[in-house]
Amino acid sequence: MIQIRTLLIANRGEIALRVMRTAARLGIRTVAVFTEPDAHALHVRAADDSVQVPSYLDVEAIVATAVATGAQAVHPGYGFLSERAPFARALEAAGVRLVGPSADVIDLMGRKDAAREVAERAGVPVVPSYDPEADPTTFTFPVLVKAAAGGGGKGMRVVREAGEYAEAIAAARREAAKAFGDDAMLVERYVERGRHVEVQVVGDDHGGVVHLFERDCSAQRRHQKVLEEAPAPGITAELRHRITSAAVDLAREVGYSGAGTVEFLLDTQSDDFYFLEMNTRLQVEHPVTEAICGGVDLVEEQLRVAEGHPLSLEQGDLVIHGHAIEARVYAEDPYAGFLPQAGTASLVRWPGGAGVRVDHALESGQVVSTSFDPMLGKVVVHGPDREAARLALVDALDRTSVLGLTTNTGFLRALAASDAFRDVGAPGGLDTAWLDRVDIPAELPAPTDEVPRVLAAWTAAMVRSLDGRGTAYVADGFRLGADPAATTVELDRPVVVHRRPDDTGTVDGVEVRQLSAADHVLDLVVDGTRVRAVVDARLGLDGRGVVEVAHRGQLFRFTPPDRLAGHADDHDGDLLAPMPGTVLDVRVEAGQQVQEGQVLGVLEAMKMELAMKAPYPGTVTVVDAAVGRQVPLGHVLFHVEQAGQEGTA
Amino acid sequence: MSTQTPPPDLRSLVAQLRERLAQVRLGGSEAAREKHTSRGKLLVRDRVDRLLDPGSPFLELSPLAAYGMYGAPGETPVPSAGVVGGIGRIHGRECVVVANDATVKGGTYYPMTVKKHLRAQTVAAENNLPCIYLVDSGGAFLPMQDEVFPDREHFGRIFFNQANMSARGIPQIASVMGSCTAGGAYVPAMSDETVIVKEQGTIFLGGPPLVKAATGEVVTAEELGGGEVHARRSGVVDHLAEDDAHALAIVRGIVDTLSRPRTAAPWQVREVEEPLEAPESIYDVVPADVRTPYDVRDVIRRVVDGSRFQEFKALYGETLVCGFAHVWGHPVGIVANNGILFSESALKGAHFVELCNQRGIPLVFLQNISGFMVGREYENNGIARDGAKLVTAVACSVVPKLTVVIGGSYGAGNYGMCGRAYDPRFLWMWPNARISVMGGEQAASVLATVANRPDDEDFKAPIRAQYEEQGSPYYATARLWDDGIIDPADTRRVLGMALATCANAPVPEPSYGIFRM
Repeated sequence: MIQIRTLLIANRGEIALRVMRTAARLGIRTVAVFTEPDAHALHVRAADDSVQVPSYLDVEAIVATAVATGAQAVHPGYGFLSERAPFARALEAAGVRLVGPSADVIDLMGRKDAAREVAERAGVPVVPSYDPEADPTTFTFPVLVKAAAGGGGKGMRVVREAGEYAEAIAAARREAAKAFGDDAMLVERYVERGRHVEVQVVGDDHGGVVHLFERDCSAQRRHQKVLEEAPAPGITAELRHRITSAAVDLAREVGYSGAGTVEFLLDTQSDDFYFLEMNTRLQVEHPVTEAICGGVDLVEEQLRVAEGHPLSLEQGDLVIHGHAIEARVYAEDPYAGFLPQAGTASLVRWPGGAGVRVDHALESGQVVSTSFDPMLGKVVVHGPDREAARLALVDALDRTSVLGLTTNTGFLRALAASDAFRDVGAPGGLDTAWLDRVDIPAELPAPTDEVPRVLAAWTAAMVRSLDGRGTAYVADGFRLGADPAATTVELDRPVVVHRRPDDTGTVDGVEVRQLSAADHVLDLVVDGTRVRAVVDARLGLDGRGVVEVAHRGQLFRFTPPDRLAGHADDHDGDLLAPMPGTVLDVRVEAGQQVQEGQVLGVLEAMKMELAMKAPYPGTVTVVDAAVGRQVPLGHVLFHVEQAGQEGTA
Repeated sequence: MSTQTPPPDLRSLVAQLRERLAQVRLGGSEAAREKHTSRGKLLVRDRVDRLLDPGSPFLELSPLAAYGMYGAPGETPVPSAGVVGGIGRIHGRECVVVANDATVKGGTYYPMTVKKHLRAQTVAAENNLPCIYLVDSGGAFLPMQDEVFPDREHFGRIFFNQANMSARGIPQIASVMGSCTAGGAYVPAMSDETVIVKEQGTIFLGGPPLVKAATGEVVTAEELGGGEVHARRSGVVDHLAEDDAHALAIVRGIVDTLSRPRTAAPWQVREVEEPLEAPESIYDVVPADVRTPYDVRDVIRRVVDGSRFQEFKALYGETLVCGFAHVWGHPVGIVANNGILFSESALKGAHFVELCNQRGIPLVFLQNISGFMVGREYENNGIARDGAKLVTAVACSVVPKLTVVIGGSYGAGNYGMCGRAYDPRFLWMWPNARISVMGGEQAASVLATVANRPDDEDFKAPIRAQYEEQGSPYYATARLWDDGIIDPADTRRVLGMALATCANAPVPEPSYGIFRM
């Protein structure tokens, strides 16, 4: 039995802050570790003390810091060192308690084959596997044939009937041999339509284990969870009982201490479930469990267990309250191949209100780099039932705004609002492969830019009208004996805004009524529909600049075209001798394709060598130059026809 | 007269003004506008709006110029005299804009077009404002060449002004957005910096028909003086624009690079305070009939900051109200009629005008004057001598003078109260205003007496009718006797913009002619 007076948090971002919140409530002093780019990060500021380390993965430095700061325990969060057995051992050796299971348990559950054996021992169903050399007619199809050494889908085949097996495994072997130099094969039952269902368990050092029901994380993309919820929709009490009991059995089997998650694959067709793996740490999505378990604090429970206390939770006391869903906000662009995004989050607004919890570590002005996990925060909603929670999530994501940086919020919002997500646990509901299967821009389209452009234009005009305030030249569009003139704002194209003194008006002819506009939050009725958005207009005196709008979670950035930039088509394609001179070099022939900026020839004149460059990509049609030839001023040395415009000159 | 139907109230006169303004602001005929826009050209007022800072107010000059002129009675074939002029902000700087309306007679210059163009240049010259010319004009209106070409204040004066303003460092910028023919070609050529719109703007001294007639050469307008020619070959222009919007963006860019420091206002500008009464309440205190007396302080209260007015000599010469106030933060000395002028009122006015000049405070004249008092007693006591003092003081004033004719403007009262001849920086009329050398009734009586037909109604009626027509503010504004008819409720705003405009030019030291004692 120990008492944790100082807790080192070996993590960063939202999870570090989340752990610190509970620690602070329990009167525990917190120590943050950080690396150089995080010197001013939120988790450093929130901690009572902080120590710089070379890396969040530096076991030696972090253990030494724990010892030096007098920490009795270290909370690893998730990721980083949270499931590293050597870290657990190093802490043990230094006399510091890891908030989590023992190093041996971490080791055991971290190895797929070992974990599978534990599950089998505990009587927990695992995905049936077959001897690749056995008679395929004895298999239950479909099966998945995969390289034992594999990865990345290479050497992987789904086989749907026995007749196809021989050919498929031969092809897979060839592929595997080529890709990995090893043609060893595994054959497993293939679950056509599976859901990811996981059970939250907590165990103590005294053999106590409880479960806190299950979560459904079927909305995932490339094994990255997108939306997570609790409880799992559409499962019967009987199935819930079976699956949670299986998880508890597994935890008991290994003598699990601390919070852990047992992941299962649920076959939507048969209601059979199979053990996948166990995560020996607190999960990203733990807040949905906390929400439906009447406000249980899993971190508090972890700390209790780490101190050696028995669990404060009794299985019989735990009941499900309503439904909770979590959405992970990432710095990535789902509408551009989920490319990671980096930049400055110039303006950040997280939602609030009853039933909404946001765990995040992103504030306005923060620089987001690609050096760490791209998760910016988690929006968690709780409602009396799933549909209420789902609609609340849509609303919360509508109120989640990150400007300056593209996030996946718009995609999350579209997914939360989709029929496929609405119907999880019912026919037509999404399964774990759905997001990888569908064409995302087609199935979950981002909102169009029309309404955001109205919002941007309205704001830009409003900002403009403040110009000259306190003088008779205030930019209110005053005209003698007439209504005020429209304000034309330059977004990606010119937009005409009429604003009346009563806060109504039109934007490009569309009726607008302003309900409120304060602190970057705009609440309008556009063409009869209520629209709310976060807007930031950074305009010059000329009304040009950048206007950003976060609408339905999606970031829209309107930038005016640079009207004063040079126009390539100003060039008529003639390359003239700019002064009398001698041709030094000719590098092209008539008919040759050239790139913009490509040197066609060189002229020597007045002690200068002048490179004649193609003004745009196209075809050289005239070469009136030869090396050594004297040419007069204005001589046409080359002519380039612009690509795509041949014959129109 | 007094038994006739009551005259319309101020509100209906304002409604009529707005209606007439809306009509002339359409520009040329629907067909002409359609033809113009179908070529991808912006209409003239859209050009102005896009040239100015988005949302910039625009103090348009004489939008009703040529109203009722050059056509059958009641018609206005040359709305706004075919040119838009005024003051607006570009990159935060007040500029004068002169923009031809090609939908009105091809943007050709009628006599009033010339007068309006010159008036806009005068505003620029007096207030140190950069000039932007948006050119789209066929040049002089040839059938009226005798009224637009030869005289001192005719077409040629435009270029004289450009040269002299440029010499004074007042930027002259032109954008050729359509034709720019003959003499008009000198507008861009005389400018400091010039833009032309590709395949739209043309500049030549003689157009293709004239070239063919003169030399037999057959040439297209584009070959003769199109954008490509002038931007690449002739050097007549400095910037080649893709279209109207691009041209206006370039002009804005030019203004942005002028980098002339904004001079501090020549007077102390304060924080602005709204008047205690709403501007529209002015309709309720001013009778539409100029013959009905009322207290001019009710107008002042609705125009000045915080409705605060520091009256000067309130107990002396009471028919002329004088005092200090602020309008949109700018200090002003207000001289306002509150009855006919007597010797005392004239002396008080002269004293007050001197005070304002001494202190460098702009003057605002609220003119509602039927004249100086007449009669033996007054003449014998030298009212002409005292009136002359006021006229001298006003004439020699060096501070900016702003005149608003809020009622009658008759006879020598017009002089003493800074009529157009006294070079106010700006002069506006209210829609109820009347202006003539004397009232129609008085003129009819005088002429009937001179003609020895004192009771001949047939003789007097046409005289009265003539004075009625010519005394109308629409007759006046059509002929550029003012800078426009304004909605009385806009008086404060218009004065504020004018004062901010005037603040661009320094105020010289005052000096006066002989005051007859």
